[in-house]
Amino acid sequence: MELLRSRRFIGIILILLGLIALPYWASRYWILLVLLFSLNLALSQMWNLLAGYSGLISLGQQAFIGLGGYALAVFSVYYGFPIWLSIILGGTVSVLFALLISAPIFRMRGVYFAIGTWTVAETLRILFSNWKYVGYGMGLFVKPTYALSFNTIYFTALGAGVASVALVYFLLRSKLGLGLMAIRDEETASETLGVDIFRCKLCCFLISAGVTGAVSGVMYLHHIFIQPYSAFGIDWTVQMVFITIIGGIGTIEGPIIGSFLYVFLHQWLSEYPNVSLLILGSIAIGAILIAPKGIMGTVQEKLGFEFLSPRRK
Amino acid sequence: MAKPLLRVQHIEVFYHDFHALWDVSLEVEKGLVVSIIGANGAGKSTLLNTIAGVLRPSSGIIEFDHKRIDGWMPYQMVAEGISMVPEGRRIFPRLTVLENLEMGCYVPKARQKRDQVLKKIYELFPILEKRKNQFSITLSGGEQQMLAIGRALMSQPRLILLDEISLGLAPLVIKNIYQTVKQIHSEGISALLVEQDIQRSLKACHKVYVMQSGKIRLEGRPGELSQEDIRKAYFGV
Amino acid sequence: MLSFLNELKAPITNGLLLGGLYGIIGIGLSMIFGIVRMVNLAHGDLVILASYLSLVTMTFFPISPLLTLIVVIPVMALIGFIVQYCLLNRVLGKGMNPPLLVAFGLSIILQNLLLLVFTPDARTLMTSISVKTISLGSFLNIPLVYLVDFIVSLITIALLSRFFNRTYMGKAIRAASDDEGAAQLMGINTRTIYSFAMGIATGTAAIAGVLVGMTFTFYPHTGPEYLIIAFGVVIVGGLGSLLGTFLGGLILGLAQILGAHFLGAGFQLLCGYLILLIVLTFKPTGLFAKG
Repeated sequence: MELLRSRRFIGIILILLGLIALPYWASRYWILLVLLFSLNLALSQMWNLLAGYSGLISLGQQAFIGLGGYALAVFSVYYGFPIWLSIILGGTVSVLFALLISAPIFRMRGVYFAIGTWTVAETLRILFSNWKYVGYGMGLFVKPTYALSFNTIYFTALGAGVASVALVYFLLRSKLGLGLMAIRDEETASETLGVDIFRCKLCCFLISAGVTGAVSGVMYLHHIFIQPYSAFGIDWTVQMVFITIIGGIGTIEGPIIGSFLYVFLHQWLSEYPNVSLLILGSIAIGAILIAPKGIMGTVQEKLGFEFLSPRRK
Repeated sequence: MAKPLLRVQHIEVFYHDFHALWDVSLEVEKGLVVSIIGANGAGKSTLLNTIAGVLRPSSGIIEFDHKRIDGWMPYQMVAEGISMVPEGRRIFPRLTVLENLEMGCYVPKARQKRDQVLKKIYELFPILEKRKNQFSITLSGGEQQMLAIGRALMSQPRLILLDEISLGLAPLVIKNIYQTVKQIHSEGISALLVEQDIQRSLKACHKVYVMQSGKIRLEGRPGELSQEDIRKAYFGV
Repeated sequence: MLSFLNELKAPITNGLLLGGLYGIIGIGLSMIFGIVRMVNLAHGDLVILASYLSLVTMTFFPISPLLTLIVVIPVMALIGFIVQYCLLNRVLGKGMNPPLLVAFGLSIILQNLLLLVFTPDARTLMTSISVKTISLGSFLNIPLVYLVDFIVSLITIALLSRFFNRTYMGKAIRAASDDEGAAQLMGINTRTIYSFAMGIATGTAAIAGVLVGMTFTFYPHTGPEYLIIAFGVVIVGGLGSLLGTFLGGLILGLAQILGAHFLGAGFQLLCGYLILLIVLTFKPTGLFAKG
């Protein structure tokens, strides 16, 4: 067992080294793919943290994508802040906004929470498209990112992807994670056992908001241009939902597999983006009907194999 | 003895992981009232729910009029002629009394004779006719129980399953309800009755089964069983 | 003061009339929410699908959009029945999230299917009604199409109410929504009943879609906008009553038009969203819910 674990550890290290070295041996196309993979992974891992581990189906993650992106644009363009600081500020703004809306939004449960978060994002979309300061619906150019090299953006994205996995991995092994596991097993029972459900869920909501906002900043280094209709669009959350469900909701590896499939399918059908969403949607529905735990969940159930077990051995 | 209408043979029933019924066999003959007695949690309601199709036996056979019916859905049972008055009455609160009764004869075969049967039910429970346009939630407990029985009779069953029909009712109302059980029997309808009240049950039935911990402990005609035997089987000593 | 009220006469009338349309948009979502206890996240997209179906019908037969309902309602009802029977029924009773996510997936599939077939161009269901206004009194001109929306909605709700109170199936649907288990014991196949209920709900979505298409422009991606409106109607109006849903529509319509009147056209949708969020926060069971 010890041997297996150390082998696994070496495997992870080797893969990481390979990805870090990617710019030195692979073509720009492959680097781009891994970049997109990492960003999608980070975003969907955060949705997974909410939906898979806290039972919160949020359909409003795009609120934090928009806030993070706009924060990057506003701080770096209008105020001349360093780009990295602007990205971190984007995460901070997202956390603050999440905290602000948490009071009303946590009064909503289940479906109400889903629609509530979605409506909040739609509200932001309208506000931003009517706000002169951020250029109405025309949006903003994130000009300072021209100074960054493609490789820098790649490393940042890769870092974000790896960090998101590591974050969820360690979160689940922390006290918070134990609380979440207890809630997932039996909500009412865990409450009587003294698990503060509200605080656990709020914690996840804030973490997920902050990371999503910051990762969005990294993403807009790549996109360069931000506009309210796309930034606050539901499509971001659609991606996260499909990736997580297909890969395996409530498993750490799920979003990894899901993002891989997503990027692969998206590139393969790059000329027909609708078709790829159509296919992903069908696969996702099929997954819910046939394999509700997704690819990873089913593999774990059938083979008892867990690559990154959140449980303490 | 008359020919069996319902035959339950060696069924086993699980609630998730909980083994609720162990090798239960039972027969209800045509035109008789059979009752099942037992303490809380003895498995009486589970047995009734299994016969009604709400639960499925994991093994064993249920035959109704020589036809295998185990594994059927509840709505198929009704069409076949088994109808149940569930525990807690379960009337439709936001439907009127008449609409509740109409739901009883939802099955096409029963719907054809709707008016005839409705008239009979109103004779059996005149209060229901008086209140027919009221929302059923406004009825008293006894009236609701009458409605639940009337509703089950609307499908013109050959076998009626009665689950704890005296629960939470005043003694006078209970007496009234059991009066109607006799009338149902005189119409030639077989009845399978679940009851916690031993004496009430023994008085009403032709045959009794005593259950304890998911098993049948005793069966026989009420007159032939001694109080002592019943008590022992009931409490499992 | 008097002139102020006079000025408000038009937005109030328009708001109420638009509210009628919102009512019919919300009614299908409300039905399924109340009966199957599931939020059909694809409801808005089904509305828009109906708009496109009407458009297609009009290219084959040069008739008024309202007449296309003869084709669109049955087709939509069939689609709804099949979706419920083959997809949604299979995930019922497995917790809140699976039905929600299946409907969400369906919504995305529908949007992209529409995009694929019809391109992202804006469409309308052209009719002579769309451009006419009629005057009520000397100062009040209202778009004729709003009035048509309102009247069609009222008729639909009256018919639905008749259906639920007079027919066996209507009563069975109500019974199943009261107590699924007891309904099964009455010989009602509740899963089939749910499928019929969904068929009727998508039938109302068909009517809503044709009215929406006559009143506004639509794109493959407009669905979610109407989903949120429908949800707002359901939340404000509460579950389980046709009249409540209609009232919810009126309130939402009024709030939007008044919001647009005072704050500018860009804020029309925003006002609806804010009302939805406020009601969700303070009385998520709806303003008119009993108890």
